[in-house]
This record gives sequence, C-alpha cells and structure tokens, in this order.
Amino acid sequence: MKKYLGPLSKDNPILVQTLGVCSALAVTAQLKPAVVMALSVTVVCACSNFIISLIRNTIPPRIRIIVQLLVVSFFVILVDQMLQAYLYDVSKMLSVFVGLIITNCIVMGRLEAFALSHKPLPSLMDGVMNGVGYGLVLVVVAFFRELLGSGTLWNHPVVPQSWYAAGYLNNGLMILPPMALILVGSIIWVKNGVGDGKLRN
Amino acid sequence: MRKFSNTYIFAYITALVLLITVVLTVAFSALKPRRDRNRQAEMYQQILRAAGHDIDREKAVVAFPQLAVPLTDDGRQYSIVCADGSKGIALRLDGKGLWGPIWGYAVLSEDGQTLKGISLDHKSETPGLGAKITQEAFLKSFEGKKLYDKKGDFVSVRVLKSGTSSEIAEENRVDAISGATITSRGVDEMMREITPIVKNVPLQPDNKE
Repeated sequence: MKKYLGPLSKDNPILVQTLGVCSALAVTAQLKPAVVMALSVTVVCACSNFIISLIRNTIPPRIRIIVQLLVVSFFVILVDQMLQAYLYDVSKMLSVFVGLIITNCIVMGRLEAFALSHKPLPSLMDGVMNGVGYGLVLVVVAFFRELLGSGTLWNHPVVPQSWYAAGYLNNGLMILPPMALILVGSIIWVKNGVGDGKLRN
Repeated sequence: MRKFSNTYIFAYITALVLLITVVLTVAFSALKPRRDRNRQAEMYQQILRAAGHDIDREKAVVAFPQLAVPLTDDGRQYSIVCADGSKGIALRLDGKGLWGPIWGYAVLSEDGQTLKGISLDHKSETPGLGAKITQEAFLKSFEGKKLYDKKGDFVSVRVLKSGTSSEIAEENRVDAISGATITSRGVDEMMREITPIVKNVPLQPDNKE
C-alpha cells in the first residue's frame, strides 16, 4: 500500500514531476471547477491506466502513443457524454475543461511510466493516487485564489461586508493565470526547497 | 522486445479505432434523448428565470407551457407571464464573449419601455471573470432599467464601465464586470440588438390566437 502513496506528496505529479501544470493554472480560479476537474482526471487516469495495463503486451511499441491517446480520448468523451446526460450542471461547469483532460500530461505520463510495465490492479491504484495527488494541489491553489481573488469559497461569500466597507479589496490579479503560476511556483519551491520533494539536492 | 509485423500493427490500430468508434456511437445515440431533454429544460428555465420565476430545471418543463406562448415559429420570442403577474415579452439574445458564444433572454414589459429581467449564459468564459455574467448580482442590476432615454429615443440598456460615458443616464445602463472587458462588451452588443427585434414584436400577442 505504502508504495502507492508517493503521488500524494513525495512524488506529487504537479509539485515533483511537474506534470499537468497547464490545467492546474486554468481551472483553479474557483474551488468548485477545481474539485470537479480533479475528480474527472482521477477517473480518466485510473480507467485508462487499467485498460492500457490490460492490453500492454499486445500494444506494438511503435504505435503505443497513438494507442494511449485513443484510450484516453475514449474515456474523456465517454465521461463528457455521461455528465451531459446525468449530471448536467456539473458538465456545464466543466465545459471547457473536459477537453483539457485529454492533453493532461499526467494521464499520458502515467500510462508511459507505469501502466505499460505493471499489472492492471497496481496500475489502477497508481492512476487513482496520481489523480488524488493532482487534485490536492488544485484544491489548495483554488482555495487561495478564490478566497483572495473573489472573497468567496465554493461560491459562498466568506469575507464579511464590513471589511469591504472598511476599504478591503479583492485582489484581481489572483483570478488571472499569471498569479496561478506564481502560486504553483511558490508551492513547488516550498515543497522542494523546504519539504521532502525529490528535487531537493 | 517482441517484434510486431506491419500487418499486425495495421490490423491492431484498425480494430481498436473501430471498436472505440462503435462504443462511442452507441453511447452517443443512447444518451441523446436525455441530453436533448436537459438542454430543452435548461432553455425553459432560462426564459422563466428572466421573467423572475425562481424555478429549478425539472419544474420549468412543467410550468413553461402554462406561462409562455410562442410569438414566432423560430422560438426566439415568447409572450410570458412574469413572476409579479404582469405580462412581458421574452426575447432570445445571441452574442459573443471572449472565448465563445454567450446568449440569454431579455424580458421586456409589454409596452416595450422597461427591461423586467434578463438571464445570461455562456459556453466558455473565464471562471471568476467573464463567467460572472451568470451571477445573480450582475443579472439583478438589469431589472427595471429603461430602454428609452429621457428624450424618448431608444437606447436599450447599455453595459458600461462605471464612471464612463456620462451622457447615458443611470436608468439606461448597468455596470460592466471589472476585469471582464470583452465579455461585458459582448453583453452590451447583445443588448443593443434588442432594437430591431422590438420593432417586429406583434404588440397584441393575445389577438393572435
């Protein structure tokens, strides 16, 4: 069990492997889309890891990237269709982000690095854990961006009106992508400069 | 490493693509009725929201036929009973935001003088910025605004940065969303399209039946 916990912290996909940074910037302006995105990536990553691992011995190495891409897009489109049919509100919230899952480096990165050389069940676990590790960072970044940028959390106002009356202003920069990059960069620095990240040397 | 022949590779990828296509096509067709129904229900809900009815999607499907009568065949204009009991005219609006289409419904009072309410939606505006056009606070700011200025000229309801273009009176404008200039401009342009639409509205919808 312990060997699967790496992606949560020591081997975190965003903080240590620095994969999936692009989507981490795009979907973290608010908490809600960040959480839904994290869940979707976890599902897609786990399912495609499992399938690729099942058929890993039949995939010709020369076209393995194409095969991986096919499997990943298959799951993304399926997830999108299911959401539109059964969880319409969630699908509306995710609209632009669903496509981003296909291009998420974490998914393909894990297929290449893990699923192609491991049995299906460990691959499934690896997919789930990497999704969760990715999600944790997303939630942390989104928490600060929504709190400081909009004064809300999960769309509920948390900064009291009296603060605004006293001259407090939301930080507009927080909502823009550059601030996301700075925030993610800061977390990566704390992780690897102070914490236990692998990059520390 | 195992060797794979070219024939194997071609057969493999063809079979995989076919399999995936078939499964996705089946899923797509099987889910289509539910998807279409969701979209339809959402449209009803949007129109009713613009008229002030706070209603969820399922109830909107039931309530819509009782509250709204189409004025045109293209589904862009409805005569509608507003939440306060008065009658209004709902107009479909289409425009473009920063990343993709934006659309909505405006409900005018029956004499075409006042904007009673509005609902807006978007495909892919930036969360926290342009996406705020769907928020209650922004939509509420449209309610009760006048479409004609003091001189009686049609100006529609403009979406402008607060403090600019002071020649447009407060009753003809709402504040744009700061940080979302292009999306706000898109809404502004959409609102200005109301002019030509209003001229085509049959003003006694009840006589039509």
